Amino acid sequence: MIGQTLDHYKILAQLGEGGMGVVYRARDEVLNRDVALKLLLHSAVDKVSPDHLLREAQTASSLSHPNICTIHQVGQTGEDFYVVMELIEGRSLSDLITTTGLSMETVARYGTQIADALAHAHDRGIVHRDLKGSNVMVTPEGRVKVLDFGLATRLEREEISELTLSYTALESKLVGTLPYMAPEILRGQKGDHLSDVWSLGVLLYEAVAGKLPFRGNTGFEVTSAILREPCPPLPSTVPYGLAAVIQRCLMKERAERYQRASEVRAALETVQGAVLQTRHPSEESRGPRTLVLRGMEHLTAKNGDVLLLVGTNKGAFLLRSSRDRSKWDVAGPYFHGQGVNAMAYDGRCGKHRLWISTNNVMWGAFLRSSDDFGRIWTNPLEAGIRFPTESGAALRNIWQITLGRNDEPDKLYCGVEPAALFESKDDGESWSLVRGLYEHPHRPRWMPGNGGLILHTILPDPSNKHRMYVAVSAGGVYRTDDGGATWQARNNGVRVVFLPEKYPEFGQCVHKIALHDSRPERLFLQNHWGLYRSDNRGDSWQDIARGVPSDFGFGMIVHPHDADCVYIVPVESDEFRCTPEGHLRVYRTRNAGGSWEPLTRGLPQKGAYETVLRDALSADSLDLAGIYFGTRSGKVYGSRDEGKSWKKIVEGLPQILCVKAAVVRMDGTPTATPSLKPKNAKKHKGGRPTRVRRRKSR
Amino acid sequence: MQVSFKVPGPLREFTENQSIVRVELQAGANLLQTLQELFVTYPGLRDRVLTETGETRQHVNIFVGNENVRYLGGLATPIPAGAEISIVPAITGG
Repeated sequence: MIGQTLDHYKILAQLGEGGMGVVYRARDEVLNRDVALKLLLHSAVDKVSPDHLLREAQTASSLSHPNICTIHQVGQTGEDFYVVMELIEGRSLSDLITTTGLSMETVARYGTQIADALAHAHDRGIVHRDLKGSNVMVTPEGRVKVLDFGLATRLEREEISELTLSYTALESKLVGTLPYMAPEILRGQKGDHLSDVWSLGVLLYEAVAGKLPFRGNTGFEVTSAILREPCPPLPSTVPYGLAAVIQRCLMKERAERYQRASEVRAALETVQGAVLQTRHPSEESRGPRTLVLRGMEHLTAKNGDVLLLVGTNKGAFLLRSSRDRSKWDVAGPYFHGQGVNAMAYDGRCGKHRLWISTNNVMWGAFLRSSDDFGRIWTNPLEAGIRFPTESGAALRNIWQITLGRNDEPDKLYCGVEPAALFESKDDGESWSLVRGLYEHPHRPRWMPGNGGLILHTILPDPSNKHRMYVAVSAGGVYRTDDGGATWQARNNGVRVVFLPEKYPEFGQCVHKIALHDSRPERLFLQNHWGLYRSDNRGDSWQDIARGVPSDFGFGMIVHPHDADCVYIVPVESDEFRCTPEGHLRVYRTRNAGGSWEPLTRGLPQKGAYETVLRDALSADSLDLAGIYFGTRSGKVYGSRDEGKSWKKIVEGLPQILCVKAAVVRMDGTPTATPSLKPKNAKKHKGGRPTRVRRRKSR
Repeated sequence: MQVSFKVPGPLREFTENQSIVRVELQAGANLLQTLQELFVTYPGLRDRVLTETGETRQHVNIFVGNENVRYLGGLATPIPAGAEISIVPAITGG
């Protein structure tokens, strides 16, 4: 062919040979430029009707995107089809991938561009069907160009059988394609945009690991691995965020994959922007990760979904619903048998990280995280939260995980037993004891409550970086105004029933304090007997227990959009810690404690002797806020109309210690923080969570 | 001298899945020194066997041969060459 002319293209040199044909460098003698000309093999063309192929190529030629190789012309000369394309100087991704893989940053950068190219094509109804390293070129400037959109032929069922049976001996042009094929294609189904998402996952896996995820010596072995084997773990050097993206692309169930290439792009941008930057050099030495597989199907969460993180005394459960909150998937137990007092969702700066404290009665309490909604959890070699040796204290449990302010996305706090506050400034990589509080002169006189001597509540003041409140049972409320260096007891007006002095400076058994971001000077307090409000940052407290059946209780939350609205679940007394008279009632004030109303619709009002513990009451941040609580008897109730009506979401769980609601943010925006509801906010139609779909065990 | 540790299932993810690991150390070592040698090779075991104050966790028992070290000398128990040391979770529940 060299030296020949095809229409007005003079063939100059052969560039390569692929599954579809031979690629030449050619000179466009009309426009006077070099192009790539792919002459399609007769055998490739024979499999489909020439008209069809021509039509597809013409459709693909309509794509105009910086990461897609532009098709200039599709033509036929005699029996030969040819495609004239932009000539790309560079190397194919398959040439660039070494056995050790590419750097994480490079993979995320290339992956983002490939996903963007796929998203562009998919939006126009064009599917690639043969995405692989040799079809992705990288220019010397680092720009990715995806080749051959729409040009791959569809494989017939017999061809797949042939391919799988004769992989080793076969000099087939398809050999390079097989490891990238989605399970559904191997089952003979037509490839679509979700098959492209799978292939992208394979490509990303190969790029980070330096090897394909599904391998074998024969086509049969490769096919079998794709269809049946779980995706092998990525090297420990791969940041969790990136690993999570790849694993989600490689979900064998199509419904569990990203449903759009644009979602992959967004997730990879997030990885590029946040997770890679927060990666710590010591990550490799952080120990094995726990891959949770046993008999469990995991949640697949997408942007805007609502999550309930439920910690129990025998493990954690994850619940997920779409925004309408009518059906809930339940996954778990995670860390079964271990006490889970604290959980948190961190959606700041594009993260989507779950935090959990696991307390194994034998092996101790550890803080762990997952960036893929529970499939893989960290399992640190060393306890990150540990008391300094000279303190003589030993960690018993982690009771609270609190995120720092939105403008401090790397800050985290933990409240622990024995009562102390720990702080991390590097996204949980390392922790330090807040000594100003630990060395407070009051500390030796704090007394353990029923749950031990615990620091259970941490409230950073959103308006003041140096101010924070903590609550200790039984020590009371403490405030710092200087970033934790010094702390002042703030319990003036809060009554103590178990000491001779009824209004001491400290020693109160505070069960919970809460504030709203828009009114940071105002605090609410649920005491061991007593409901209080402070309008002056805790300097003094006034009783607001008017109209409640009991002022004893544990949990307390402020409505996410209404600073005057507070929820509690009163229990009868310290002796009988159950809902009064067997009525399960949530109480709400909408005037900052001026009066309280019972919320009972949908809640059992007979023989319901329930207890809601201090962290088992939570709200999501949707416009019409969802309110949720869990009971010691293992039931989770939810209201999707701000408490007007309730529905049991799940029952039969172990004793519930904490419930944390969160809205998943996977679009790179910060987690929504509670804010005042706009006056013209749309009213939701109301209704209640109705049905649970418990994920079946395998 | 060489001693061996029997590692319980939940901790084997920190010992590359080995149920028995061997440690080389100088003759005359006590249990604490032996454990410290073990932790050099398998650092994930340390915080799961001992608290940060250096005590054996409340619900973890360590046996030298068939004897619980609580009835020998605790962490100061002398370890003979060839000893078989077992790390065993205590009976507990709730």
